[in-house]
Amino acid sequence: PSTQTSHHSPLPLIDEPVTNLGQFITINPSIPGAFANQGLRKLVHMAIDRAIREIITPVVERSVTIAGISTRELIIKDFAMEPNEEKMRNAAHLMVQNLAGSLALVTCKEPLRISMANHLRTLLLQNGFSEQSISEQAILIVVTDNLDLACTFIEKAAMDKAVPEIDDSLASSFSNRKKHRERTGQPYYDMSVYSGISRYMSTLPEPLRLKPNGLLPQQLRVYEDFSRIPRISNQAAEIYNDRNVRPSMLRGQDFISHPYNPAEMTFDGPQTQMPITAHQSLEKFAQ
Amino acid sequence: LPMQHQHKLAQLEEEKIYSLITELTNPANREQALVELSKKREQYDDLALILWHSFGVMAALLQEIVSVYPLLVPPQLTGQISNRVCNALALLQCVASHSETRGLFLNAHIPLFLYPFLNTTSKTRPFEYLRLTSLGVIGALVKNDNPEVISFLLSTEIIPLCLRIMESGSELSKTVAIFIVQKILLDEMGLAYICATYERFYAVGTVLSNMVNQLVETQAVRLLKHVVRCYLRLSDNPRAREALRQWLPEPLRDATFSQVLKDDMVTKRCLAQLLVNLSDNVVTTN
Repeated sequence: PSTQTSHHSPLPLIDEPVTNLGQFITINPSIPGAFANQGLRKLVHMAIDRAIREIITPVVERSVTIAGISTRELIIKDFAMEPNEEKMRNAAHLMVQNLAGSLALVTCKEPLRISMANHLRTLLLQNGFSEQSISEQAILIVVTDNLDLACTFIEKAAMDKAVPEIDDSLASSFSNRKKHRERTGQPYYDMSVYSGISRYMSTLPEPLRLKPNGLLPQQLRVYEDFSRIPRISNQAAEIYNDRNVRPSMLRGQDFISHPYNPAEMTFDGPQTQMPITAHQSLEKFAQ
Repeated sequence: LPMQHQHKLAQLEEEKIYSLITELTNPANREQALVELSKKREQYDDLALILWHSFGVMAALLQEIVSVYPLLVPPQLTGQISNRVCNALALLQCVASHSETRGLFLNAHIPLFLYPFLNTTSKTRPFEYLRLTSLGVIGALVKNDNPEVISFLLSTEIIPLCLRIMESGSELSKTVAIFIVQKILLDEMGLAYICATYERFYAVGTVLSNMVNQLVETQAVRLLKHVVRCYLRLSDNPRAREALRQWLPEPLRDATFSQVLKDDMVTKRCLAQLLVNLSDNVVTTN
């Protein structure tokens, strides 16, 4: 279906409000005075919107680039003897989407949490909510409740952008297979890869070996597994549980989610006077 | 016959390795296969090549890595899941170490998938172990003084990540992190990169100086060696040398560490050389 390759796919919705998020925003009824307050809901929506805009471009670019390179290299290697470009394309899509989505999610979560809280705090003050009427704790609850929603938006953007980019970067691999099949009808070899791996082909057992007539269905399953990578934590826990983690491990204390305060977890050593934080040093290296 | 017997054993061992690698591509059997393979990784020289060239194995290992991401923030990593991903990392370390697979590994940008692990800050054991093992993979890359590795790493965020671990990690993590920074500094391009702007030099210098102050307390000799080497190397750069004349922490100038370094001639000599390099009387040729 997604076979058309567009060279410059714009990021979705980057210059317009993230309109469709509004209906999914959760506001915990325990927040004093906030229940049924449409004004607050609107401000939360604006805060999410601003926070997303702030980081979406660099996060998506970086995630898509890295996922694209890894996918290209591994797919070219593993599909070197696969004649069917559609199988190759399908595996590449599954891999790149899920790697890009996972990378985007893990990269955006913390900056998004901080930025959403900052924007919400500012918006509330600007709109006449006093610090007494909505506490800092209430702000953090709202942010936590809506963090996954905001992250999902960025994840989706990365997944969408990754597909046309990998189609682009594998375009010649796809067309070579097609041309080769139409002209010769002979088994396909990507010689640039095959010359490097041919000496292993005789020793490797069946499931690990590339076949002259293409990969087996159970081999392709490895790439289908990319679509089963968990993205949110309880999903991850379930999947590990499903596979082979003993349930007793999950009930253990390790799995209770910690109250989260990254600022305090970073530098809590004896070194009290910290002239530079890791984040600052990161910025300095980016210069 | 013993020869025949040995040959037979080697063959059995090889078959076992192949069947374990095959198991890696099956999610249901992967955890056990990871445990056994990571134990055997030292015994089999060509393991890296087989891992790389086998269909789907690198893809499967990459799945192991990203599957853990959702458990990083907020920190929810259990000991068992940490062990599992660390076994996968141990196999990647194998691929990173081997001269014939290192370039392929870099080319596929796989080290970048480890950075979210290095970016965690939880102090629990599962996280400490995860960071240490991830650092081990990067450490294996830089070990052989390969300029391609350094230029790859310089295009990424590895230095700030290492600096933070040098500041707040466990002693073992600090040691691997500073080893990586030292290897980057020893490369010409790496030294030039770090000394290219005052801000970069300042970031590295500040962390090193904080480490010296911590070392006065902890007296961790292994770390001290690396710190001295890093300063010595920085002093090879004229601008850094100028800055260090004012900046070098006092404990490196006085006798604070003389007892700890009593039996370590090499580091003592490095420290002496550093002080010579920084002494005001040395006239630099223009």
